[in-house]
Amino acid sequence: MFSFIVRRVAGMIPLLIVVSIISFLFVHLTPGDPIRVLYGTEISPAAYEMLKQKEGLNDPLYVQYGRYIKKIVTQGDFGISYRTKSNVSEEIVRRLCYTLVLTLASMLWAVVIGLAVGIISATKRNTIWDRLGMVTTITALSIPEFWFGLMLMQIFAVQLGWLPTSGSGGLEHLILPSLTLGLGVAAIVARFTRSSVLDVLREDYVRTARAKGQRGWVIVMTHVLRSALIPVVTMTGLQFGILLGGAVVVEQVFAWPGLGSYLIDSILTRDYPVIQALILLFSVQFLVVNLLVDVSYGLLNPQIRYE
Amino acid sequence: MLAKWKRLRLGLGIMLAAGLFAGCSPAPTETKTEPANTGAAPAAEGSQTKQSAEPKTITVAVEAEPVSLDPQNVTDGNSLTVQRPMFEGLMTFNDQMKPVPLLATEYKFNDNATEVTFTLREGVTFHDGSPFNADVVKANLDFVRDEKNGLARNNYFSFIKEVIVKDPTHVTIVSAEPNSAMVSYLAHPSAAFKSLESLNKKKADPGFNLDRNPVGTGPFKFAEWKDNQYVKVVPYENYWDQAHKAKVESIVYKPVIEAGTRINMLKAGEADVISKLPTQSAKEISQDSSFNLFTAPSLNVYYVGMNLKLKKYQDKRVRQAMNYAINKDDLIAGVVDGYAQVADSAIAPHTFGYSQQKVYEYNPEQAKQLLAEAGYKDGFDAVLWTRNSSEFIAIAENVTIQLEKIGIKAKVQPYESGTLFDMLDHEKGTDLWIGRWSPGTGEADYGLRPNFHTASFAPSFNNSGFYSNKEVDKLLDDALVTPNQEEALKKYAQAQQIIYEDAPWVFLHVPDNVVAKSKDVTGVTVLPSDTVLVNDAEKN
Repeated sequence: MFSFIVRRVAGMIPLLIVVSIISFLFVHLTPGDPIRVLYGTEISPAAYEMLKQKEGLNDPLYVQYGRYIKKIVTQGDFGISYRTKSNVSEEIVRRLCYTLVLTLASMLWAVVIGLAVGIISATKRNTIWDRLGMVTTITALSIPEFWFGLMLMQIFAVQLGWLPTSGSGGLEHLILPSLTLGLGVAAIVARFTRSSVLDVLREDYVRTARAKGQRGWVIVMTHVLRSALIPVVTMTGLQFGILLGGAVVVEQVFAWPGLGSYLIDSILTRDYPVIQALILLFSVQFLVVNLLVDVSYGLLNPQIRYE
Repeated sequence: MLAKWKRLRLGLGIMLAAGLFAGCSPAPTETKTEPANTGAAPAAEGSQTKQSAEPKTITVAVEAEPVSLDPQNVTDGNSLTVQRPMFEGLMTFNDQMKPVPLLATEYKFNDNATEVTFTLREGVTFHDGSPFNADVVKANLDFVRDEKNGLARNNYFSFIKEVIVKDPTHVTIVSAEPNSAMVSYLAHPSAAFKSLESLNKKKADPGFNLDRNPVGTGPFKFAEWKDNQYVKVVPYENYWDQAHKAKVESIVYKPVIEAGTRINMLKAGEADVISKLPTQSAKEISQDSSFNLFTAPSLNVYYVGMNLKLKKYQDKRVRQAMNYAINKDDLIAGVVDGYAQVADSAIAPHTFGYSQQKVYEYNPEQAKQLLAEAGYKDGFDAVLWTRNSSEFIAIAENVTIQLEKIGIKAKVQPYESGTLFDMLDHEKGTDLWIGRWSPGTGEADYGLRPNFHTASFAPSFNNSGFYSNKEVDKLLDDALVTPNQEEALKKYAQAQQIIYEDAPWVFLHVPDNVVAKSKDVTGVTVLPSDTVLVNDAEKN
């Protein structure tokens, strides 16, 4: 198992080099000029040239790339943002915290609600509960986050006054954005759980368990879920990776200072150092989450071995 | 093996949970320092503090986080809104965008408008205690004019040739060329002053961040900037103007990108003032008796630009026909719910030096006739570029539908704004585009020169349609060197007349700035320059 992890981590390195090259080319070849976007016509042609020179934007791309990678590898330095003039790594760390907290809270909603609805729907198949559960999940999947967030805000903050509309601070600030973000994932988890549990319920060992007189709930919780959870975990991990990329819409609606809004702002202003660093970070996050998912299979089902 | 893993898993779980919810939990412990701030507050304000059970803080929800708190390093109105309580300049604009003295008491031009001498107000101090005087003015202006300092407003101050300190209370600004608009330039919020001490700190240590350490002379001083959350300012006890001392305990500016959220904050009582309201919500708010709505015409002019290098737009009659073809009232009702007025010049009515022109009243018959006279009886095809924001796309679609009625078949092509600027700068197939311009200085020269002067052709400036008229060039150049303001304004008026007649743009509309506040708050003003002023605000 340990050597498996080491091999997987080593395998990430070439992948990350490729990602860094692609992201570098992607931002530099996109039309748009960071100096022009940032300063508009407010600066003279001379000042424009000077700023371009200062940021090293006149050098050939491979020279710029070399300089960029060298700084990362030798100093762990991702550069200075063109737009805010702040250190990119520091800003990312600060915002990553918010994104992580929001993502974890959303996943908590997603897993709790999703599993509950999924299991109930599967065990009470074709009853009113099942139908209700599945209609609700389809609805939840189709509701735009933007609208749902503003609705929650309207009800719980404006009408009832129980929670703050937006911003960040205490736990009360986390509830609405995480619920908004977690809803869609909860729906996916619920549908996956339902079909997966239904599959497992048809297995022989479940029938045997029933035959020996175990109670329905015990069977589901001890025998069925163990096997049924594997695909659910894969999918949940994937969703987790996606959410870690920052939830642009939810962050904007709830003024949550995470990575999503940072990425959008940087793309709009062609803030090259920030875009590059974020793409790299998202790739690393995805790879790590995938690795964790693979590892968790073995924990759920000891029969799975790592070669 | 499994047991080992369980232990590891447990460890990992605890690390994650502890790290996230304790280490970087969003609960900001710093905000607890609030009482300390108000505790250090001035004696004069103390009595007010004791009376109120709740500290009277004015919360302003703005549409973005400020880029910087250095007045010479920003170009956006939103950052200026946040800076306004802290900074002041020699001059300021009144609500008609007319320049009036602030830190100066009077000013005098020399005979050929190459020099203006200011008499400075005495007894003004910065938030760090240092005095305001002629040396401060010189140091600030010299600092921003030095290209090496890389400030965003560097080019803006290029009209200055030299700053001469006569004595501590008299300073003379010498312009590179005769320039009657100088006083307006110096009334702009970017011509505000930082303390000499903070400038010297920056000179001694390049790592010192002026963007984050604002020290001005305004009625409020900087307290805290919590990244992506708020900027807070508190009263400055030794503010020079007794009549305009701070009347609240603090002002907090919160960046909230989503307009719907800003409105909800106002409704929930979390914000007292919200800036930049979408027009659809403006009606709803205006009907609610607990809120006030402000609408002031902005300095923005929306237009359809045309590439005059293309043969189809070279005939003036075609350009005029397009102006006649657009029903501006229909556009304003459809796109901005009526919160705008027809653009009756190339610059907006509140721009200093504006002169009203006779609008191209909607007349499709005349438009068709003009097109036919110009040899385009059946119209032509065109591509209309626009930014990809919903507002711009709505305008583009409305324009397209109207143009089609006279046979001009335009195809709307939305681009992300950075891409669009790049394509316009380098003429990558420029045909028609939806543009917006607002003169940063609030006066005519900056409204006209970058868009219509021959020397302003893209990519250096905004004349991306390559409009060129020797008469306009001469009027603009002459106006700038005329010491007599009345004469200068006459020349600007003439230039506007020629431009409107030449119609290098389809002149669309001037939108209103829409700002809302709660009834409990008074003393809020909105300047046409997109700036919301809460310096004098009070809360009941």
